Amino acid sequence: MRLTCPFCGSRGLEEFTYRGDALVRRPAADTSLQTDAQAWTDYVYLRDNPAGLHSELWYHGVGCRSWLVVTRDTRTHRVDDVRAASAVAAERSGGAA
Amino acid sequence: MADKLHATAPIGAEAISANGLRLALAPLAEAASLGAFAGSGRAELLACVRAEFGVDLPQTPKAVTTADGLVTFLWCGPSQWLALAPAEASGPSGASSGGQGLMARLRASCGAVCALSAQGDSRTALRLSGPGTRAVLSRLVPVDLHPRAFRAGDVALTLAGHIPVIVRHLDDQPEACELLVFRSFAASLFHDLHVAMTGHTS
Repeated sequence: MRLTCPFCGSRGLEEFTYRGDALVRRPAADTSLQTDAQAWTDYVYLRDNPAGLHSELWYHGVGCRSWLVVTRDTRTHRVDDVRAASAVAAERSGGAA
Repeated sequence: MADKLHATAPIGAEAISANGLRLALAPLAEAASLGAFAGSGRAELLACVRAEFGVDLPQTPKAVTTADGLVTFLWCGPSQWLALAPAEASGPSGASSGGQGLMARLRASCGAVCALSAQGDSRTALRLSGPGTRAVLSRLVPVDLHPRAFRAGDVALTLAGHIPVIVRHLDDQPEACELLVFRSFAASLFHDLHVAMTGHTS
């Protein structure tokens, strides 16, 4: 499998590290562990395991040391999209990077 | 100034020649990393470097050298650069600055808008030159080094075998590349390159 880093270009998998599901959201800081334990349980333990498109974080540790959001089909390893995580986060929060 | 901790060269071997190629330690008196602060730091850093050194920091994996040839800036990540000074800068009186010339210039010109760290003891530079340099490097480096993809001034942060390296293509006439490697890996990379050179037939 190869990933096309938006900064470095097409690189082999040996340059990257998988860093988990990119869609997981940490509960708000004031979420109570006593009254809303399920929110924390979901965040810490529960993951979807889709057969198909998966949004995931990769770290380009050997190259530019950027965090990337990769959209990959788990059945075929086809990679549809690779974007800088900073750009994705900026878009999500509605602000500039 | 503090005494240097290392008294020995990063590698014991002399320069090696094989099959028309030459492998040697490249001069590297000083190195420093620049990381732009968030917010307007990046734009301010670009302006500060332009004012002090007369060059624009590259926005893609490339290297740019100042007009006087004293300092080279390498892209090494979004908003991150390495500044390299091959020769020790001399002070106004002509006396040696003890390997502090580059850092002093950087601190004065852009210390307020970026994180500066001395990297002189972290990195070592090796230079591979001669006809077939690309072919030899291709045995170790898994990126496209063909002239259409990797030209003079281009930089690649990648692996040489198992060793993280920053490859910089210097020139095509004559063919030459420089590899920046962590100091403790230099002897191992030197050995790997020597083996790759010996196996090369042009």
